[in-house]
Amino acid sequence: MGPFWLAPEAFSEGVGNLLVGVKRISQARTSQILGWAMGMGLLLAFPLFVSSFWLRIATEVLMWAGLAQSWNIIGGYTGYLSFGHGAFFGIGAYATAILMVHAGWPFWPTLLVGAILSALCAAAVGFPTLRLRGAYFAIATWAFGEAIRQVATVLEVTGGAFGMQLPPFLNLPFFYEAMLIATVLTYLLAFLLLERSMFGYKLRAIRENEVAAEAAGVDTVATKIEAFILSAIPAAVFGGLYAYLITYIHPDSVLGPAITDLMVVMVLFGGVGTLWGPLVGATAIQLVNRLLWFLRGESTLYLVYAGVAICLVVLFMPDGLLGLVERRQLVLRPKENLRALLRQFKL
Amino acid sequence: MGLFLQTLIDGLLIGGLIIVIGVGFSLCFGVMHIIDFAVGEWVMLGAYTAFWMVRYFGRDPFVYLPVIFFLYMAIGYLIYPLIHRAVSGRRHNPALMGLVFTFGLASLIKGGALTAWGFHVRSVTTWLSGESLPLGFAVVPALRFAGFAFGVLATVAFMLFLKWSKIGVAIRAVAQDRIMAELLGVDTNRVSALVYAMYTGLTGMAGVLIGALFSIHAGMGLRYTTFAFFVVVLAGMGYVPGVIPAGFLLGLLQSLVTVYVSGRYTLLAVFLVLYGTLLARPRGLLGRGW
Repeated sequence: MGPFWLAPEAFSEGVGNLLVGVKRISQARTSQILGWAMGMGLLLAFPLFVSSFWLRIATEVLMWAGLAQSWNIIGGYTGYLSFGHGAFFGIGAYATAILMVHAGWPFWPTLLVGAILSALCAAAVGFPTLRLRGAYFAIATWAFGEAIRQVATVLEVTGGAFGMQLPPFLNLPFFYEAMLIATVLTYLLAFLLLERSMFGYKLRAIRENEVAAEAAGVDTVATKIEAFILSAIPAAVFGGLYAYLITYIHPDSVLGPAITDLMVVMVLFGGVGTLWGPLVGATAIQLVNRLLWFLRGESTLYLVYAGVAICLVVLFMPDGLLGLVERRQLVLRPKENLRALLRQFKL
Repeated sequence: MGLFLQTLIDGLLIGGLIIVIGVGFSLCFGVMHIIDFAVGEWVMLGAYTAFWMVRYFGRDPFVYLPVIFFLYMAIGYLIYPLIHRAVSGRRHNPALMGLVFTFGLASLIKGGALTAWGFHVRSVTTWLSGESLPLGFAVVPALRFAGFAFGVLATVAFMLFLKWSKIGVAIRAVAQDRIMAELLGVDTNRVSALVYAMYTGLTGMAGVLIGALFSIHAGMGLRYTTFAFFVVVLAGMGYVPGVIPAGFLLGLLQSLVTVYVSGRYTLLAVFLVLYGTLLARPRGLLGRGW
């Protein structure tokens, strides 16, 4: 099977994968479906109950949950680390800003353009590097992220380092609902394509043992490129929504290094390669983030927090919060971990 | 013509300094199979350490080169067990956890520096600053030449150490085949710790010269992380001798773009060449990569 843009039958296979997932959902018990529908209804009605302060926080939590899931597709399920995922977010944001300001487009179609643009970029970055080892991919994505920031800083059309101002649209419930829909769609896509279809099995086979996956007949390169493209698209959509939400963007706010950092730490904290890990991680980290912002104001200290969090999670709970719950180990076992660490230090 | 020659010489001189970073970084990858995303941050820390030492103890920054080497060796030696713990879990792909760890470390160091020292640009002066060697067709700033000389000396010393010392042989053995080296009685864990320590020491030391040549600020790490990646990919990942031509090539590229296009486009040019290399010759220009 080649990439879907080369082979129409592969594309129909992809659609078939989706349909299998949908069929499984339709076989679920009525009580389950009712439960999900009620939960969804509550989320949709959320703006009716809360103040705009909490609505704003909920909007951001939703956005980060979706962004974390988009990173999880390539970083968690496939096991290839993209350290430039913030670039796709920025591409989406700048696509929306440029098209709305300079071309006078309405909002919605700009999201599509951003998504297509970042999908093309993902294909261009993934094509040479996903046939090599993971280290090359990590380097290339990191370099891509920095390159996009440089481009945004030097170009005229992006307003350079000063950024650009979008037409203001101060309607928080609108953004909440839009983020909610985008996030739910991202999770639904992840559920259907990664948890309940052949494609997801292929990705996990690649993560567990790439040589074995290849031997079993998986076209690993094509599958990885597809996964990378799939992970870039939601990031761009969230970027576009975010740009319209904050109405003033510049290279630091939508292409800053902290965006990729946060995606990585959220997924790690929640649980790598799981469906609900990114949601758990994003909720926890974003709430702490806002709390810190509330206590300390905007500062560069968040880079330190993100760095410390990443290091600690890697060292002490590599399976994330969900991993702790699954193994019924709700305690971090600090003594045991510390002892292991001290053993290491003796070399 | 004079400008062109001057640009070439400047580029080659800077290349000599970048090689020091690349050699340690490449060996580190060859032995541990981990990319250290914090490489530029070690450069930044080295430069800052020199700055603060000059500020508090006076004297010339060059005096502190050995101090900084051993200081960062010690820091690297202490950090290595953490990396070892990150990669030795029972994860499906432990090397990726190491990558994430160094990524977090880079974020932590950079954020810490930005928070502690802010966005101010600082500089140190050495006894060579402002001096220059007239060569007739071009003028060579003495400090650049000193950086180049330091780079060549450090690289040669490092290569000789790898070639002739007993530990050097062990290091090369581990880089070649880890399991075989273990079977022959090499303590791979200790060798890795030593390699990481030497790499951080060399990089910190290079940071002093880079800080003396250019300005020192908390965000400077990004540039040198990019340079290190560029050099290692062009050389072929883990192939140490390839770092030398790659370093000179990077110096030339940087200096030519700065003079003939604009300083704002240097990093972009570097990324473009990096992408082209990954596309056309992923195993490095010499095709000897890992």
